[in-house]
Amino acid sequence: MKVLVGLSLLVFLVGISYRLYGWLTQTVLTTDRTASPGRLPSALKGLMGTLFSGELFTLVKTFFTDVLFQKRLLSKSALRWAAHSLIFFGFIALLLMHGLGTGVSEFFFSDYLSTIQPYLSLRNLFGLMVLVGLGIAIYRRLTDKPQRVKSYASDWLAIAIVGAIILSGMVLESSKISSYSAFTTMAEDYGDITEPDELMPLETYWAAEHGLISPNIAKPYDPALIEEGREIAGDACMECHAPAQSAFISYSLAKVVGPIVSGLGDEGMVNFLFYLHIIFCVGLLAWLPFSKMFHVIATPTSLLINGVMGFKEPAKDPANELNRRMIGLSACTHCGSCSELCSSLMFYESFQNDFILPSEKVQLLKKVAAGQNVEDQTLANLQKGLYICTSCDRCSEVCPSGINLRELFISSRYQLLSQGIPETSMLSHFSFPLSLTRNFIVDHKNALKKLEKIFKDSFTRLKDLTSITVSDPVQVGTTSYQSCYSCQRCTNICPVVRLYDDPEVELDMLPHQIIFSLGIGNKEIAMGSQMIWSCSTCYLCQEHCPNKVELTDIFYNLKNAAIKQIEGGRA
Amino acid sequence: MKLAFFQGCNIPIRIEQYAVSAEAVLKKLGIELEIIEEFTCCGYPVRNVDEKAYIIPSVRNMAIAEKKGLDIMVICNCCFASLQKAKNVMANNPELAAEINEILAKDGLKFEGTTAIKHFLSVLHEDVGLESIKKQLVNMVSDLNLSVIHGCHILRPREVTLFDDSFVPKITDELLAITGAVSLDWRGKLECCGAALGGLNSELSEILLKEKVDGALAAGAQFITPVCSYCHLQFDTTQLNIREQQQNQKVLPVLLLPQLLGLCLGIDEKVLGLEQNNTIEPAHVENLKSMLGPPVEKKKKRKKRPQKAAA
Repeated sequence: MKVLVGLSLLVFLVGISYRLYGWLTQTVLTTDRTASPGRLPSALKGLMGTLFSGELFTLVKTFFTDVLFQKRLLSKSALRWAAHSLIFFGFIALLLMHGLGTGVSEFFFSDYLSTIQPYLSLRNLFGLMVLVGLGIAIYRRLTDKPQRVKSYASDWLAIAIVGAIILSGMVLESSKISSYSAFTTMAEDYGDITEPDELMPLETYWAAEHGLISPNIAKPYDPALIEEGREIAGDACMECHAPAQSAFISYSLAKVVGPIVSGLGDEGMVNFLFYLHIIFCVGLLAWLPFSKMFHVIATPTSLLINGVMGFKEPAKDPANELNRRMIGLSACTHCGSCSELCSSLMFYESFQNDFILPSEKVQLLKKVAAGQNVEDQTLANLQKGLYICTSCDRCSEVCPSGINLRELFISSRYQLLSQGIPETSMLSHFSFPLSLTRNFIVDHKNALKKLEKIFKDSFTRLKDLTSITVSDPVQVGTTSYQSCYSCQRCTNICPVVRLYDDPEVELDMLPHQIIFSLGIGNKEIAMGSQMIWSCSTCYLCQEHCPNKVELTDIFYNLKNAAIKQIEGGRA
Repeated sequence: MKLAFFQGCNIPIRIEQYAVSAEAVLKKLGIELEIIEEFTCCGYPVRNVDEKAYIIPSVRNMAIAEKKGLDIMVICNCCFASLQKAKNVMANNPELAAEINEILAKDGLKFEGTTAIKHFLSVLHEDVGLESIKKQLVNMVSDLNLSVIHGCHILRPREVTLFDDSFVPKITDELLAITGAVSLDWRGKLECCGAALGGLNSELSEILLKEKVDGALAAGAQFITPVCSYCHLQFDTTQLNIREQQQNQKVLPVLLLPQLLGLCLGIDEKVLGLEQNNTIEPAHVENLKSMLGPPVEKKKKRKKRPQKAAA
């Protein structure tokens, strides 16, 4: 067993070191390529700067409010806060009181014995807390889960392994309660009772009141023997062994588990269950650094860092900004809070792109950071997801782990863009808030130029037209263009047309010409015209058209169709 | 009266003072607002890319309000137009309506069309009423000249937005008139701020904006009063971005209607977030405060017809 524990501890430590190393060296789609050697000193400098300054107070405060009390989660959902607190405090209490051995408990409580009260009941209570918490978590994943967020195998595995530890522990305890071999060993080792005339009454008493299943005695128990046994127990056992009922769950469970265990051979079964419990525990330990359970280290770190540095401001030291991003990535527990309130949520219904949801972006970014191979198409989808974003910042606001998602997303957005995949979503108004912040203007403009070239190459333009043919009516969402009677009111009122000395050159086609072209059945020259991408959508043309031609609506339709054609050509 | 406050994406993060001042003003006037967490983007930003993707979110937002039995109040013009457009589509395109309702069913929602979409200005003008606001005024301003920019998507297309007279709008001017401010006739009043081109054709967007800034300054405006959140961001952020390159040019500060009305209703300027407007400087605030005085009934002047955009 020691080998097992030692081995898993080794795996755990190696894993943790690897992850910490990753924090300080890995990058994820970053436009900032600060050399990694500088990141460790920066991290240490930042850490020291915090520890030896007034910020230490903030750090301690954040530890209590955000890490222990989980303030951010509580403001999000009381139910989820309850679930997490039950699991967290139940598990930590079990770990300290029970898992780390008697040493820790004795340090705090000198009279600690695992078999006396209140420890017997407490152990069951803590286990129950974890189970109730897990129950709520499972319920939420099944019924109340954030819409459109997928649950991965890793999410279920985390719940399963914690549940397995608690349940195997409870079954183990109940098998010990009922086990005859455990009884005789304890009677001999602790009570020094080996003689049959003493053992028999004690056994009867223990079977009648403490859940023992003995091969020697059967119901109905002799009341006189029970009383005699009670006296012997009072002298020999009860000082260090509280009644088995104190372990209120395991005792009840023993009624079911007991007969099975004794039927299969109780000594072997107790041993088996013991090893099973240990294997689950060391399994979690070894698995932790490589799973979402790593959040038990990463999330507090992320919360503490953001508590000190501010949840909104980027780090002053760019190397530390990279460190923070990596820590943030590993702090994500895939809880889905961000996606639940994502302002772009409903766009998922139209684009069927997982990466519109922030929680799913982070899952992919984790893979990219870990150096996993990601297909080009997946990266293109990620890029689209990063652009179909209203920059409303809600994801960063609600993240219970306090991850600065905005910085992560801004950085990956422009890094992907610099890889040269054309992004048609840039032609949407999602680009408006991006233009306000003026990040990476040059990259942004270059990417737009590239798109412009694709459009120019994809459509015939008016000036390339050598002859005019008349075709069938076109589909532009309305037939109102057929009512045009060529008054040119639209062109005359257009605030964009009036800006140019030579609008026909700058815009390829004027509004009334676009309507003409639709009239003769040529949608292509309309889709290829600069006019539709220079339209300010002010609707003056449409409002003033005497024949109610829906010009602006038609321009929107042409833009949609042009993008669709370009996207189709690329796929 | 209680309304679901649809703030959209820009206001909570970039123009919080618009929401806060509007809420403070309405509270004074007896209108309660509820913020609904589940509201998402109205859909407007995606309209260039996919019309259906543009409609769906607004239908969902209305269905959420319906479920709560509330009418929606909007400040942003683009959100307003998106909601009205979605409502229009749902009423006139049964095929698409059925398809969208199927999508909504996944979230246990259904669109019936019972929720009314009200713009903040109509709530003030119709639900509260000019007379009722006047009664509560503790201040009026004098000698304040403003250039209102209505924004496009609140007025047009009129069949969809159903707001005011799209050629000769009067709601905003009447609301400003009760504060004593003069809403100037100027060329950009009904025109485009350029925001719809921002980030995809920024050069043109900035030219359109500059035209409005210069036009308002030339008309003698001390402040510009945008209605739409996009217009606001153009004047309050992009204008400064442009001015960085042209330092000798004058900056036209933004004053929002609920900020001015709030001052006249006696609401603290800190609550109204005047200094959160990027273009406002402390001197502007002081100047504004010096214009405040007790309300006096002015002689009714015949209002000039606003100059038509078609010139």
